Amino acid sequence: MRVVVAEDSTILREGLVELLTLRGHEVVDAVKDAEALQAAVRGHRPDVSIVDIRMPPTHTDEGLRAAIALRQETPGCAILLFSQYVETKYAADLLADRAGGVGYLLKDRVAEVSDFLDALRRVAGGETVLDPEVVSQLFASTRKTDALGALTAREREVLGLMAEGRSNTAIAGALFLSPGSVEKYVTSLFGKLGLPPSEGDNRRVLAVLRYLDS
Amino acid sequence: MATRVDPGGYPGRRRRVARGKLVGVSTQAAAYAPGAVLRRVLTEPARGRFWRELGWLLSSTPLSIVSAVLVLAGTAVGMATSPLFIGLLVLAGVLQLAREFGRAHRALAGRLLGVTATAPPRRPLEPGLWNWIRARVGDGPGWRAFAYLLLRLPVALVELFFTGSFLLYAIAAILYPLLWQAMDGQAMPVFDIRSEHWASSLGYAATGVLVLFATPWLVHGILALDRVLVRALIGRATLAEQLRALFGGAELSERVRDLEVSRAVAVEDTTVKLRRIERDLHDGAQAQLVAVAMKLGSAKDALAESDVDLDQLRALVSSAHAGAKHALVELRDLARGIHPPALDAGLGVALSTLASSAGGGVVVETEIDRRPPPSVETILYFTAAELLTNATKHGGLPARIAVTSPDGLLRLTVHDEGDGGAAVVPGGGLAGLADRVRTVDGTLRIDSPEGGPTVITVDIPLRR
Repeated sequence: MRVVVAEDSTILREGLVELLTLRGHEVVDAVKDAEALQAAVRGHRPDVSIVDIRMPPTHTDEGLRAAIALRQETPGCAILLFSQYVETKYAADLLADRAGGVGYLLKDRVAEVSDFLDALRRVAGGETVLDPEVVSQLFASTRKTDALGALTAREREVLGLMAEGRSNTAIAGALFLSPGSVEKYVTSLFGKLGLPPSEGDNRRVLAVLRYLDS
Repeated sequence: MATRVDPGGYPGRRRRVARGKLVGVSTQAAAYAPGAVLRRVLTEPARGRFWRELGWLLSSTPLSIVSAVLVLAGTAVGMATSPLFIGLLVLAGVLQLAREFGRAHRALAGRLLGVTATAPPRRPLEPGLWNWIRARVGDGPGWRAFAYLLLRLPVALVELFFTGSFLLYAIAAILYPLLWQAMDGQAMPVFDIRSEHWASSLGYAATGVLVLFATPWLVHGILALDRVLVRALIGRATLAEQLRALFGGAELSERVRDLEVSRAVAVEDTTVKLRRIERDLHDGAQAQLVAVAMKLGSAKDALAESDVDLDQLRALVSSAHAGAKHALVELRDLARGIHPPALDAGLGVALSTLASSAGGGVVVETEIDRRPPPSVETILYFTAAELLTNATKHGGLPARIAVTSPDGLLRLTVHDEGDGGAAVVPGGGLAGLADRVRTVDGTLRIDSPEGGPTVITVDIPLRR
């Protein structure tokens, strides 16, 4: 994959570049602020960008705003946001365009190198990947809503893994279920969330968004 | 800012004490020694104060007449046209004029009466005629100046009348014996001064001398009214504030204001400090540990492969190892920045540790009889640390840090041999220190002539 890295911490930026290069990816540019990120993405058209949320000058949400701006220019422009904290609000802002190809992970996740690279690959492939932490925060904040109340514990688990960007097969592996029963849970929770089968929509993304909106 | 030593802990008391002492010394000396009383009475007419007061009467009265006439005329015009917009416009102009005349009176009173009244604040003006009118008509100090000018005119005339009469009588009576021959039994043209015999004309002269020596005191007395008017109506403080000051409330309200300010500083300081700690953690140790985890993760994956690249593995592990050590150092420094552990053993130990970490050339002396509260110790420690950093930055080593406890105070003195010229600049490091010290009622004083040496003294009162 051709990757752009935007991270203001030198240690992490160099660490990421080293890691990606070691695993056979091409880091086309590594920058330390949001402005340089926008220029790099426009110039290199990478497969995916890894973007730190907090960058100079204000160290608040520069990365997020740059990501949203880039995706407005180029819908589906793949971006993995990378942060030391997760904020549900940021996830909601990022997913608002519903175009897919976004991810939001805690920086800790990079410790599991293969999982991290897998998530990066899925974002590059247009999927949506949310950190389990984001997902559990979403569940915590929406516990009282009717939509969630209707779901069984198992269905919630399945939805959580779905939000992390896992396929049905991967979910089945994680929960020690047969792919067939995962399929059943997914269909049931789509029903409970009021998502009828349709050609144009990715119901998996919509299911996650249903929580973000509530 | 708080750059001067202030034993009371806040400026109000210092001023008050100073003023009280001055008055007390002069009147007490007069009361105790009869010779001194006589000397005082005999020299009073020749003293500068009396002549300045006469100068005030002579110069301010015409000014008061002109201002009162103009302001009253303006008001009359304004009233005549009042239903119209033009009336408001004239009124606004009159109030602005009143403020200007007030300013002239204030300047004169400052020079001749020694009344130090600060100018009332001007509200920032927004552009536009309507805004100007609104600002002027709603201007409290403008209205107060207006009232001052109206009151001042009769007061000035009465003052001038009495002072003039006294002086005239004194002069006429003293001159009468000299003119007695020439007057040939006629009365003096003023005050009906007349006597049959030259000897009794000397009696007039005696009363004239008495009046002459009494006049300065009379003038001092009647001008007290002027001083009150100036302070109350064309100074910054309103009449209510003047009264409160008279009954001692000023100290209290000044204290309250002081506490409000220093509390705000303390709260702000804490917030800033917490934010800085978060930033330091986020950018420092946290980032380091993420990088360590990333490298160890890579190493773990490399180990899982069938043919292990030992060189690569070694590089990853040693890099992670270095990162972990680095993170430890960052965490230790950060923890020390929050609370230096040496401070638990007392200020002396903490300051010695600080001095040794600054390299050679710093001497620490601690002479305190009992341990101050932890909050005071912490503030003093960080103040010393920052002052020492400043000193080192400006080539001030060798330096000396001393902590002593002269009567009820904890005093930190940092002495360095740098280039001097240190000063409190708003928003600068020293101003920040002074603000922080004020949160525990302390003061910071700087003595730093160009070319050095610099001595900075911090006094913090200890509660009994």
